[in-house]
Amino acid sequence: MNKLWICILLSSLTVAMWTSPSIAITAMTKGANDAVKLSLTLVALYGLWLGLLNIMEKLGLTAKLSKLMSPVVRFLFGKEISADTQQYISTNIAANLLGLGNAATPMGINAVSSMAKEGQTKASTPMIMLVVISATSLQLLPTTVIGLLVSHGSTNPTAFLLPCIIATVTSTLVGIVLVKVFSKIFVDTKKTKATTKEDTPCK
Amino acid sequence: MQVTAYLIPALFIFVLCYSLAKRHNAYQSFAEGASQALNLIFKVFPYLLTVMIAVEIFRQTGVSAGLAKLVSPALGVFGIPKELSELVLLRPLSGAGSLAILDNIYSVHGTDTYIGKCASVIYGSSETIFYVATIYFTGTKIKKLRYAIPLSLLATFVGVIVGCWMVRLL
Repeated sequence: MNKLWICILLSSLTVAMWTSPSIAITAMTKGANDAVKLSLTLVALYGLWLGLLNIMEKLGLTAKLSKLMSPVVRFLFGKEISADTQQYISTNIAANLLGLGNAATPMGINAVSSMAKEGQTKASTPMIMLVVISATSLQLLPTTVIGLLVSHGSTNPTAFLLPCIIATVTSTLVGIVLVKVFSKIFVDTKKTKATTKEDTPCK
Repeated sequence: MQVTAYLIPALFIFVLCYSLAKRHNAYQSFAEGASQALNLIFKVFPYLLTVMIAVEIFRQTGVSAGLAKLVSPALGVFGIPKELSELVLLRPLSGAGSLAILDNIYSVHGTDTYIGKCASVIYGSSETIFYVATIYFTGTKIKKLRYAIPLSLLATFVGVIVGCWMVRLL
Protein backbone atom coordinates (compact mmCIF):
# COMPACT_ATOMS: atom_id res chain seq x y z
CA MET A 1 0.00 0.00 0.00
CA ASN A 2 2.80 2.35 0.97
CA LYS A 3 4.75 1.81 -2.24
CA LEU A 4 1.65 2.17 -4.38
CA TRP A 5 0.69 5.39 -2.63
CA ILE A 6 4.14 6.89 -3.07
CA CYS A 7 4.28 5.81 -6.72
CA ILE A 8 0.92 7.39 -7.50
CA LEU A 9 1.79 10.64 -5.75
CA LEU A 10 5.33 10.91 -7.14
CA SER A 11 4.34 10.21 -10.74
CA SER A 12 1.40 12.61 -10.56
CA LEU A 13 3.40 15.38 -8.90
CA THR A 14 6.25 15.00 -11.39
CA VAL A 15 3.86 15.27 -14.30
CA ALA A 16 2.25 18.30 -12.65
CA MET A 17 5.66 19.99 -12.50
CA TRP A 18 5.93 19.65 -16.29
CA THR A 19 2.38 20.48 -17.29
CA SER A 20 0.68 22.75 -14.76
CA PRO A 21 2.15 22.99 -11.26
CA SER A 22 -0.91 24.81 -9.94
CA ILE A 23 -3.00 21.66 -10.41
CA ALA A 24 -1.13 20.00 -7.53
CA ILE A 25 -2.64 22.07 -4.75
CA THR A 26 -6.13 22.28 -6.27
CA ALA A 27 -6.30 18.55 -6.89
CA MET A 28 -4.96 17.57 -3.48
CA THR A 29 -7.27 20.04 -1.74
CA LYS A 30 -10.19 18.67 -3.67
CA GLY A 31 -9.22 15.14 -2.68
CA ALA A 32 -9.04 16.14 0.97
CA ASN A 33 -12.35 17.96 0.73
CA ASP A 34 -14.00 14.96 -0.88
CA ALA A 35 -12.68 12.80 1.94
CA VAL A 36 -14.27 15.11 4.52
CA LYS A 37 -17.58 15.07 2.65
CA LEU A 38 -17.47 11.30 2.27
CA SER A 39 -16.69 10.90 5.97
CA LEU A 40 -19.72 12.98 6.90
CA THR A 41 -21.89 10.82 4.68
CA LEU A 42 -20.32 7.69 6.12
CA VAL A 43 -20.66 8.71 9.76
CA ALA A 44 -24.36 9.30 9.15
CA LEU A 45 -24.79 5.95 7.42
CA TYR A 46 -22.70 4.09 10.00
CA GLY A 47 -24.80 5.65 12.75
CA LEU A 48 -27.99 4.50 11.09
CA TRP A 49 -26.85 0.94 10.49
CA LEU A 50 -24.93 0.46 13.71
CA GLY A 51 -28.01 1.66 15.56
CA LEU A 52 -30.21 -0.91 13.89
CA LEU A 53 -27.60 -3.62 14.21
CA ASN A 54 -27.24 -2.96 17.93
CA ILE A 55 -30.97 -3.54 18.43
CA MET A 56 -30.69 -6.76 16.41
CA GLU A 57 -27.72 -7.83 18.47
CA LYS A 58 -29.49 -7.16 21.79
CA LEU A 59 -32.54 -9.08 20.60
CA GLY A 60 -30.42 -12.03 19.57
CA LEU A 61 -31.38 -11.63 15.91
CA THR A 62 -27.79 -11.51 14.68
CA ALA A 63 -27.12 -14.71 16.64
CA LYS A 64 -29.99 -16.34 14.76
CA LEU A 65 -28.66 -15.11 11.44
CA SER A 66 -25.25 -16.40 12.43
CA LYS A 67 -26.67 -19.82 13.22
CA LEU A 68 -28.45 -19.89 9.88
CA MET A 69 -25.28 -19.09 7.98
CA SER A 70 -23.05 -21.15 10.21
CA PRO A 71 -22.31 -24.01 7.75
CA VAL A 72 -21.15 -21.62 5.04
CA VAL A 73 -19.19 -19.37 7.39
CA ARG A 74 -17.50 -22.30 9.09
CA PHE A 75 -16.54 -23.82 5.76
CA LEU A 76 -15.01 -20.54 4.58
CA PHE A 77 -13.39 -19.31 7.77
CA GLY A 78 -12.56 -22.49 9.62
CA LYS A 79 -13.98 -23.79 12.87
CA GLU A 80 -11.69 -21.86 15.19
CA ILE A 81 -13.46 -18.52 14.96
CA SER A 82 -15.34 -17.32 18.04
CA ALA A 83 -19.11 -16.94 18.26
CA ASP A 84 -18.79 -13.14 18.24
CA THR A 85 -16.64 -13.16 15.14
CA GLN A 86 -19.04 -15.52 13.45
CA GLN A 87 -21.91 -13.12 14.14
CA TYR A 88 -20.03 -10.17 12.72
CA ILE A 89 -19.01 -12.13 9.63
CA SER A 90 -22.56 -13.38 9.03
CA THR A 91 -24.00 -9.88 9.32
CA ASN A 92 -21.27 -8.52 7.07
CA ILE A 93 -21.97 -11.10 4.36
CA ALA A 94 -25.75 -10.71 4.64
CA ALA A 95 -25.47 -6.91 4.35
CA ASN A 96 -23.10 -7.21 1.38
CA LEU A 97 -25.46 -9.60 -0.40
CA LEU A 98 -28.37 -7.22 0.10
CA GLY A 99 -26.33 -4.39 -1.38
CA LEU A 100 -26.05 -2.54 1.94
CA GLY A 101 -22.32 -1.97 1.58
CA ASN A 102 -22.29 0.83 4.14
CA ALA A 103 -23.87 -1.42 6.73
CA ALA A 104 -21.39 -4.15 5.86
CA THR A 105 -18.28 -2.02 6.44
CA PRO A 106 -18.64 -1.49 10.22
CA MET A 107 -19.41 -5.20 10.63
CA GLY A 108 -16.30 -6.08 8.65
CA ILE A 109 -14.20 -3.83 10.86
CA ASN A 110 -15.69 -5.43 13.99
CA ALA A 111 -15.10 -8.91 12.60
CA VAL A 112 -11.42 -8.24 11.88
CA SER A 113 -10.93 -6.49 15.24
CA SER A 114 -12.47 -9.42 17.09
CA MET A 115 -10.14 -11.85 15.30
CA ALA A 116 -7.00 -9.83 16.00
CA LYS A 117 -4.84 -10.93 18.88
CA GLU A 118 -2.78 -8.66 21.09
CA GLY A 119 0.28 -7.40 19.22
CA GLN A 120 -0.61 -9.14 15.97
CA THR A 121 0.88 -7.38 12.95
CA LYS A 122 0.15 -9.85 10.18
CA ALA A 123 -3.26 -10.71 8.79
CA SER A 124 -4.45 -14.26 9.43
CA THR A 125 -6.12 -16.44 6.81
CA PRO A 126 -9.71 -15.89 8.02
CA MET A 127 -9.12 -12.12 7.92
CA ILE A 128 -7.80 -12.37 4.38
CA MET A 129 -10.79 -14.51 3.44
CA LEU A 130 -13.18 -11.85 4.74
CA VAL A 131 -11.37 -9.05 2.92
CA VAL A 132 -11.25 -11.02 -0.34
CA ILE A 133 -14.94 -11.95 -0.15
CA SER A 134 -15.94 -8.33 0.52
CA ALA A 135 -13.48 -6.87 -1.96
CA THR A 136 -14.60 -9.09 -4.83
CA SER A 137 -18.09 -7.67 -4.31
CA LEU A 138 -21.06 -9.78 -3.37
CA GLN A 139 -23.63 -7.25 -4.36
CA LEU A 140 -26.34 -8.87 -6.45
CA LEU A 141 -28.12 -5.65 -7.35
CA PRO A 142 -25.77 -2.76 -8.21
CA THR A 143 -28.20 0.07 -7.53
CA THR A 144 -25.64 2.82 -8.21
CA VAL A 145 -25.08 1.62 -11.76
CA ILE A 146 -28.80 1.17 -12.43
CA GLY A 147 -29.47 4.67 -11.11
CA LEU A 148 -26.79 6.20 -13.33
CA LEU A 149 -28.03 4.26 -16.36
CA VAL A 150 -31.56 5.55 -15.79
CA SER A 151 -30.34 9.13 -15.48
CA HIS A 152 -28.54 8.72 -18.82
CA GLY A 153 -31.82 7.63 -20.41
CA SER A 154 -30.94 3.99 -20.92
CA THR A 155 -33.71 2.08 -22.67
CA ASN A 156 -32.92 -1.11 -20.82
CA PRO A 157 -31.10 -0.31 -17.57
CA THR A 158 -31.20 -3.90 -16.31
CA ALA A 159 -29.79 -5.56 -19.46
CA PHE A 160 -26.32 -5.81 -17.95
CA LEU A 161 -27.52 -7.55 -14.77
CA LEU A 162 -27.08 -11.15 -15.86
CA PRO A 163 -23.46 -10.78 -17.06
CA CYS A 164 -22.82 -8.63 -14.00
CA ILE A 165 -24.06 -11.28 -11.59
CA ILE A 166 -22.07 -13.95 -13.42
CA ALA A 167 -18.98 -11.73 -13.18
CA THR A 168 -19.37 -10.99 -9.49
CA VAL A 169 -20.08 -14.62 -8.59
CA THR A 170 -17.07 -15.73 -10.65
CA SER A 171 -14.78 -13.22 -8.98
CA THR A 172 -15.92 -14.19 -5.49
CA LEU A 173 -15.56 -17.92 -6.19
CA VAL A 174 -12.13 -17.43 -7.74
CA GLY A 175 -11.19 -15.34 -4.71
CA ILE A 176 -12.34 -18.03 -2.26
CA VAL A 177 -10.47 -20.78 -4.12
CA LEU A 178 -7.32 -18.65 -4.33
CA VAL A 179 -7.39 -17.90 -0.59
CA LYS A 180 -7.91 -21.59 0.19
CA VAL A 181 -4.98 -22.53 -2.05
CA PHE A 182 -2.70 -19.77 -0.77
CA SER A 183 -3.46 -20.58 2.84
CA LYS A 184 -2.18 -24.09 2.16
CA ILE A 185 1.02 -22.78 0.59
CA PHE A 186 1.76 -19.96 3.01
CA VAL A 187 0.80 -21.42 6.35
CA ASP A 188 -0.13 -18.96 9.12
CA THR A 189 2.83 -17.86 11.21
CA LYS A 190 1.77 -19.53 14.44
CA LYS A 191 2.36 -22.97 12.97
CA THR A 192 5.63 -22.50 11.12
CA LYS A 193 8.05 -19.71 11.83
CA ALA A 194 10.15 -20.76 8.83
CA THR A 195 7.69 -19.41 6.27
CA THR A 196 8.21 -15.85 7.43
CA LYS A 197 11.33 -15.76 5.27
CA GLU A 198 9.23 -15.97 2.15
CA ASP A 199 7.15 -12.88 2.67
CA THR A 200 9.86 -10.30 2.98
CA PRO A 201 8.89 -7.34 5.12
CA CYS A 202 7.75 -4.53 2.89
CA LYS A 203 8.71 -1.18 4.28
CA MET B 1 -34.36 -1.96 -7.93
CA GLN B 2 -37.78 -1.99 -6.31
CA VAL B 3 -36.80 -4.97 -4.21
CA THR B 4 -34.15 -3.04 -2.27
CA ALA B 5 -36.51 -0.11 -1.85
CA TYR B 6 -38.93 -2.41 0.01
CA LEU B 7 -36.19 -4.25 1.79
CA ILE B 8 -35.00 -1.45 4.05
CA PRO B 9 -38.36 -0.37 5.53
CA ALA B 10 -39.34 -4.03 5.84
CA LEU B 11 -36.17 -4.78 7.80
CA PHE B 12 -36.76 -1.85 10.16
CA ILE B 13 -40.43 -2.77 10.67
CA PHE B 14 -39.49 -6.35 11.44
CA VAL B 15 -36.83 -5.39 13.97
CA LEU B 16 -39.05 -2.81 15.67
CA CYS B 17 -42.02 -5.18 15.96
CA TYR B 18 -39.76 -7.88 17.28
CA SER B 19 -38.37 -5.57 19.97
CA LEU B 20 -41.92 -4.52 20.91
CA ALA B 21 -42.86 -8.16 21.34
CA LYS B 22 -39.78 -8.72 23.48
CA ARG B 23 -40.37 -5.50 25.48
CA HIS B 24 -36.89 -4.35 24.58
CA ASN B 25 -35.77 -0.72 24.84
CA ALA B 26 -35.04 -0.28 21.14
CA TYR B 27 -34.60 3.48 21.48
CA GLN B 28 -31.76 3.08 23.95
CA SER B 29 -30.07 0.30 21.95
CA PHE B 30 -30.24 2.28 18.74
CA ALA B 31 -28.57 5.29 20.34
CA GLU B 32 -25.86 3.10 21.86
CA GLY B 33 -25.14 1.51 18.51
CA ALA B 34 -25.12 4.85 16.72
CA SER B 35 -22.56 6.21 19.16
CA GLN B 36 -20.02 3.72 17.80
CA ALA B 37 -20.19 5.46 14.43
CA LEU B 38 -18.13 8.37 15.71
CA ASN B 39 -15.29 6.21 16.96
CA LEU B 40 -15.32 4.33 13.72
CA ILE B 41 -15.11 7.38 11.51
CA PHE B 42 -12.21 8.77 13.54
CA LYS B 43 -10.27 5.66 12.61
CA VAL B 44 -11.41 5.57 8.99
CA PHE B 45 -11.13 9.25 8.08
CA PRO B 46 -7.31 9.60 8.02
CA TYR B 47 -7.03 6.70 5.58
CA LEU B 48 -9.79 8.02 3.38
CA LEU B 49 -8.11 11.38 3.18
CA THR B 50 -4.68 9.90 2.48
CA VAL B 51 -5.94 7.76 -0.38
CA MET B 52 -8.29 10.32 -1.87
CA ILE B 53 -5.64 13.03 -2.12
CA ALA B 54 -3.45 10.69 -4.19
CA VAL B 55 -6.29 9.46 -6.40
CA GLU B 56 -7.53 12.96 -7.17
CA ILE B 57 -4.14 14.26 -8.32
CA PHE B 58 -3.57 10.98 -10.20
CA ARG B 59 -6.72 11.67 -12.18
CA GLN B 60 -6.43 15.43 -12.62
CA THR B 61 -2.88 15.35 -13.94
CA GLY B 62 -3.92 12.80 -16.54
CA VAL B 63 -1.40 10.25 -15.29
CA SER B 64 -4.13 7.64 -14.77
CA ALA B 65 -5.40 8.20 -18.32
CA GLY B 66 -1.84 7.89 -19.66
CA LEU B 67 -1.23 4.72 -17.71
CA ALA B 68 -4.57 3.38 -18.91
CA LYS B 69 -3.48 3.94 -22.51
CA LEU B 70 -0.32 2.03 -21.76
CA VAL B 71 -2.08 -1.04 -20.38
CA SER B 72 -5.01 -1.05 -22.83
CA PRO B 73 -3.31 -3.36 -25.39
CA ALA B 74 -2.74 -5.88 -22.60
CA LEU B 75 -6.38 -5.62 -21.54
CA GLY B 76 -7.41 -6.04 -25.17
CA VAL B 77 -5.80 -9.47 -25.17
CA PHE B 78 -8.34 -10.49 -22.51
CA GLY B 79 -11.25 -9.01 -24.45
CA ILE B 80 -11.70 -5.86 -22.38
CA PRO B 81 -12.44 -2.86 -24.64
CA LYS B 82 -9.57 -0.35 -24.65
CA GLU B 83 -11.95 2.53 -23.90
CA LEU B 84 -12.53 1.01 -20.48
CA SER B 85 -8.94 0.66 -19.30
CA GLU B 86 -9.04 3.77 -17.10
CA LEU B 87 -12.20 2.46 -15.44
CA VAL B 88 -10.55 -0.92 -14.79
CA LEU B 89 -7.50 0.84 -13.40
CA LEU B 90 -9.29 3.24 -11.05
CA ARG B 91 -12.17 1.07 -9.90
CA PRO B 92 -10.22 -0.68 -7.11
CA LEU B 93 -8.80 2.63 -5.90
CA SER B 94 -11.68 5.04 -5.74
CA GLY B 95 -15.45 4.70 -5.81
CA ALA B 96 -16.13 8.37 -6.53
CA GLY B 97 -13.32 8.66 -9.08
CA SER B 98 -14.38 5.62 -11.06
CA LEU B 99 -18.03 6.65 -10.92
CA ALA B 100 -17.06 9.92 -12.63
CA ILE B 101 -15.33 7.87 -15.33
CA LEU B 102 -18.35 5.60 -15.72
CA ASP B 103 -20.53 8.67 -16.14
CA ASN B 104 -18.19 9.95 -18.84
CA ILE B 105 -18.21 6.57 -20.64
CA TYR B 106 -22.03 6.62 -20.76
CA SER B 107 -21.96 10.16 -22.19
CA VAL B 108 -19.38 9.33 -24.86
CA HIS B 109 -20.25 5.77 -25.85
CA GLY B 110 -23.91 5.51 -24.79
CA THR B 111 -25.45 3.25 -22.17
CA ASP B 112 -26.82 0.43 -24.31
CA THR B 113 -23.80 -0.11 -26.55
CA TYR B 114 -21.33 -2.94 -26.08
CA ILE B 115 -18.86 -0.60 -24.39
CA GLY B 116 -21.56 0.90 -22.18
CA LYS B 117 -22.73 -2.52 -21.05
CA CYS B 118 -19.20 -3.73 -20.37
CA ALA B 119 -18.61 -0.59 -18.32
CA SER B 120 -21.77 -1.29 -16.28
CA VAL B 121 -20.61 -4.84 -15.67
CA ILE B 122 -17.12 -3.74 -14.63
CA TYR B 123 -18.38 -1.14 -12.17
CA GLY B 124 -21.27 -3.24 -10.88
CA SER B 125 -19.35 -6.44 -10.32
CA SER B 126 -16.39 -5.01 -8.45
CA GLU B 127 -15.51 -3.11 -5.32
CA THR B 128 -13.06 -0.45 -4.20
CA ILE B 129 -10.60 -3.13 -3.15
CA PHE B 130 -8.00 -0.83 -1.58
CA TYR B 131 -10.65 0.91 0.49
CA VAL B 132 -12.11 -2.35 1.79
CA ALA B 133 -8.71 -3.84 2.54
CA THR B 134 -7.45 -0.76 4.38
CA ILE B 135 -10.64 0.08 6.28
CA TYR B 136 -11.29 -3.44 7.59
CA PHE B 137 -8.00 -3.40 9.48
CA THR B 138 -8.36 0.09 11.00
CA GLY B 139 -9.35 -1.31 14.40
CA THR B 140 -6.16 -3.35 14.68
CA LYS B 141 -2.40 -2.94 14.61
CA ILE B 142 -2.11 -5.19 11.57
CA LYS B 143 0.01 -3.63 8.86
CA LYS B 144 0.86 -6.66 6.75
CA LEU B 145 -2.12 -7.77 4.73
CA ARG B 146 -0.09 -10.51 3.03
CA TYR B 147 -1.84 -11.72 -0.11
CA ALA B 148 -5.25 -10.08 0.54
CA ILE B 149 -4.97 -7.29 -2.03
CA PRO B 150 -3.21 -9.19 -4.87
CA LEU B 151 -5.73 -12.03 -4.66
CA SER B 152 -8.70 -9.64 -4.60
CA LEU B 153 -7.34 -7.83 -7.65
CA LEU B 154 -6.71 -11.05 -9.52
CA ALA B 155 -10.13 -12.51 -8.70
CA THR B 156 -11.87 -9.28 -9.69
CA PHE B 157 -9.92 -9.19 -12.95
CA VAL B 158 -11.03 -12.73 -13.79
CA GLY B 159 -14.61 -11.68 -13.02
CA VAL B 160 -14.30 -8.67 -15.32
CA ILE B 161 -12.96 -10.82 -18.18
CA VAL B 162 -15.81 -13.29 -17.75
CA GLY B 163 -18.31 -10.41 -17.49
CA CYS B 164 -17.20 -8.76 -20.75
CA TRP B 165 -17.25 -12.15 -22.41
CA MET B 166 -20.81 -12.71 -21.18
CA VAL B 167 -21.93 -9.34 -22.57
CA ARG B 168 -20.83 -10.58 -25.99
CA LEU B 169 -22.50 -13.97 -25.59
CA LEU B 170 -25.84 -13.01 -24.06
